[in-house]
Amino acid sequence: MTKTISRRDFLKLGAASVGALAVGQMLPPMVAKAAKENGVLNAAGDGVISTMCEMCVWRCGVLAKIKEGRVVKLDGNPEHPHSRGNLCPRGQSGLMNTYDPDRVLTPLIRVGQRGEGKFREATWEEALDLVASKMTEIKNTYGAEAMVFSSTHNLSQPLFENLLYAFGSPNYGTQRSLCFNAMIVANLMTYGMEEPARIYDDKLKYILLTGRNLLEAISTSETSDLSHAIDRGAKVVYLDPRYTKTASKATEWLPIKPGNDLAFHLALLNIIISEKLYNRPFVEKNTVGFDELKKEVSRYTPEWAAPLTGIPAETITRIAHEFADAAPHTLAHNGWRTSNFVNSFHTQRAISILNALMGNWDVTMTEAAGEESGTLGAPPQPAYPRVSALRLDGVPWKYPVVPFKIGVFQELRDNIVSGDPYPAHGWFISRQNPIMSLPDRGKTIEAFGKLDFIVTVDIVLNDTAWFSDVVLPEASYLERYDPLLPVGDKVFLRQPVIEPQGEAKSALWIYKQLGERLGLGDFFQYEDEEDYLRQQLAPLGVSLEEVKIKGYAEAPETPHAAESAEKSWNTPSGKIELYSDTLAKVGFPGVPTWEEPPQPAEGEFYLLTGKVATSTQFGTQNNQLLHKYSDDPRLWINAKTAASLGLVDEDWVEVKSSVGQIHTPLLVTQAIRPDCLYMTPGYGHISKGLKTAFGVGASDSTVHVTFTDPISGGQALSQTFVTIKKA
Amino acid sequence: MTVIKHHAYLFDATRCIDCRACMVACSVENNIDMDKTRIWVAGLGVTGEYPELQRGTMVYHCMHCDHPDCMSACPVGAYTKAEDGPVTYNPDLCIGCRYCMNACPFGVPHFDYDKGIIEGAFIDKCTFCPQRIYNGQEPACVETCPTDALEYGDREELIAKAHARIAEHPTRYIDHVYGEFENGGTSYLILSHVPFSELGLPNLPETPVNEVSEKVMEMTIPFALGWGAVLTAVTTGVALYDNKKKAASKEKAETTK
Repeated sequence: MTKTISRRDFLKLGAASVGALAVGQMLPPMVAKAAKENGVLNAAGDGVISTMCEMCVWRCGVLAKIKEGRVVKLDGNPEHPHSRGNLCPRGQSGLMNTYDPDRVLTPLIRVGQRGEGKFREATWEEALDLVASKMTEIKNTYGAEAMVFSSTHNLSQPLFENLLYAFGSPNYGTQRSLCFNAMIVANLMTYGMEEPARIYDDKLKYILLTGRNLLEAISTSETSDLSHAIDRGAKVVYLDPRYTKTASKATEWLPIKPGNDLAFHLALLNIIISEKLYNRPFVEKNTVGFDELKKEVSRYTPEWAAPLTGIPAETITRIAHEFADAAPHTLAHNGWRTSNFVNSFHTQRAISILNALMGNWDVTMTEAAGEESGTLGAPPQPAYPRVSALRLDGVPWKYPVVPFKIGVFQELRDNIVSGDPYPAHGWFISRQNPIMSLPDRGKTIEAFGKLDFIVTVDIVLNDTAWFSDVVLPEASYLERYDPLLPVGDKVFLRQPVIEPQGEAKSALWIYKQLGERLGLGDFFQYEDEEDYLRQQLAPLGVSLEEVKIKGYAEAPETPHAAESAEKSWNTPSGKIELYSDTLAKVGFPGVPTWEEPPQPAEGEFYLLTGKVATSTQFGTQNNQLLHKYSDDPRLWINAKTAASLGLVDEDWVEVKSSVGQIHTPLLVTQAIRPDCLYMTPGYGHISKGLKTAFGVGASDSTVHVTFTDPISGGQALSQTFVTIKKA
Repeated sequence: MTVIKHHAYLFDATRCIDCRACMVACSVENNIDMDKTRIWVAGLGVTGEYPELQRGTMVYHCMHCDHPDCMSACPVGAYTKAEDGPVTYNPDLCIGCRYCMNACPFGVPHFDYDKGIIEGAFIDKCTFCPQRIYNGQEPACVETCPTDALEYGDREELIAKAHARIAEHPTRYIDHVYGEFENGGTSYLILSHVPFSELGLPNLPETPVNEVSEKVMEMTIPFALGWGAVLTAVTTGVALYDNKKKAASKEKAETTK
């Protein structure tokens, strides 16, 4: 079914496009020319160029091996703290994204019906003029707020934000509410920061992972850290309804009942507080609200949690003791999604608080450096226009504690459908695929139907581009510059290692071109990508040429406050907030509080999703190398459950939720709770422009029901219940 | 960098997370066709009954045996065992007989059934990344491994490292380094927490199979010569006896006339 090409063919393909560009436009290959001048490539065009991966959001350092103007191998950069010389399978396969035969290499304008996939090729001039005129028309007719902007977080995000805020729209969609809103908001409410960094040193003794499948959902350096900690003999307790690869390496696997991680953590807090196992001096000095917390958790005994979680009370008590005994060399990992239920915010708060009670700050957890470095420069720009329109995603009028930059993506989609509080008319989407990412695909397609104009920026004709009016081809991460990334005491560069193929252009170029056409040129005061980077580097006194050779520049970190100095947190009280007045003021419980999760009815199952090492969400299934080494997507079912339903391995079943149904073959396994089913997300692509991925597997977004955590705005991805029957 | 006398790999099944970065890395580094691979995942995977489970998988490629059966079986000398470890294959000499495929106890050499004799390259297997190891780099599969489940170095040093690791964690590992002695020793050494058979590895004697077969083969000529001599002697004896008998009966006939 799937057409594969040999690597030799795709290398040829890459060479052909580069050649066509060079000859057709009589331009010397700039990347190779510059690299040769810098001595990175030899006269034949062979050598190694340092850049950064973009196969997920971890951004490993990459050394790209170039042969005759083509990238032939990617190795992990030993000097980059995120890769340390290693790459995961996605990183290794990155060049196949660039050389994907399905790349969109010229701007496209729709000619058929939406979703029909009929486009005609256009010049950048024509495509950009069309996009700008449509956006201006929408703004003039309905107001700037009728234009929605969304993008999945990436290094060019500051320029994307310039485009939307300068345009004057409050409607900013990110992917975050589909992922880790609960964790981010919980940490903001507790520590006043989005996500503290974790320290895996030799002394780390105890790690509690709540659904953080770190050995499959790979973040190269952290996966490596965890694996090495296990190897050294650190104890890992892992909560997951599924026996994942992480479960198989953990010291103890607890197949917890979905949605009840909160009960487990509340019971840990109960034991730790009632038996006074916490770090009293640290708590007294650095936290507020201990008494309120103590009062609330006093009712959450292990005996209370046992029937909810399916974990015996004595196990919960033992883990509380072990966790506290290992303090401060103990860590409760926040994870990204935990249990993915509407009570996940409280679960995340409980985890954050559990750490605080151990006094493990600056031992196993510390402040994360963040992506913005105060030491970097930026082009000048005017202030954004004042925006008074409400946001369609309910922030803050419905979700008062969700940060603007994070938003509630699924609510944005829902309100496009309802037209309440006002109708949207256009959607600008950059390297994002809401058709696949948002729950309830049918509803997302319905939202698209409400819009006059949709434009998508991507490297391939993804499912969202398939439904768009204009597709703007972005250069792949191996073909373009992006703004610099600070990591530790360095700033790292993503730079083109080969010439962009066809007409593909960087986001920096696309946003600037659009900005200028929209009369917003003042927000894009750079000549080109290199000029932008030079302005960033100016305060460091380092030349771009030097950074291009090394791949990074030294940038002194803002020094941490001296240890003796009074530690303060960026919360209203300046302390770690066990009780949050901010939450209480807007009507939410100030301390973590039990909320009963919904349960499947008789004959229904929990539908779980979770990552695998060979794919990133729904963006890598068309990569032929990953396709080659991925397991065929099947629906996991417990062997006993399957037997009781008369189903056997590889049977095809119909899976039905309240919003949709899919057909999929079964994987009968011991490695999952009997009341759960699991499917690998990101399959079931509907764009015929993705020739490798089209028709492979079933889509989780078709059956996922939209449930939003009222505090953090996070989508409760595990709260979908389904029935199955033999297809 | 230490001088490597005998290039070898050490694979630790307790560390492997089955992420398959090694497989992709090999495919790209060595320009493998999309429908082929030089690295495989083996093993039973998840075993036991919910919730008492364990997992055992292994990635493997050519074991680079010290006494390679592929080489022993090859009638045209297409295989070479380098003194410093790698077992290499020369497609120019290969006649596509596939004896090596039958001979290899690990099922490593793969035949390219899509190509004819004229297009060459009949057999495909791990090369030990000579383009990397002789240029100061680790093999592609090793370098990318995020958990150090795959390591590369001198065989003796890796064996010592493996035993030290077992000694440090005696309850974690099976007390054996697979490949130290199996089949006369391999250059892909394996540590495991589950029985090696559950990783899909054959139970091989320490004496390499080909040592026995080659000894037998070495005896072919002496055996043929010896057996030939015996047969000649017997034939001669029989002929002499026969002649004697014939002569005697002739004599008898003459006397009875």
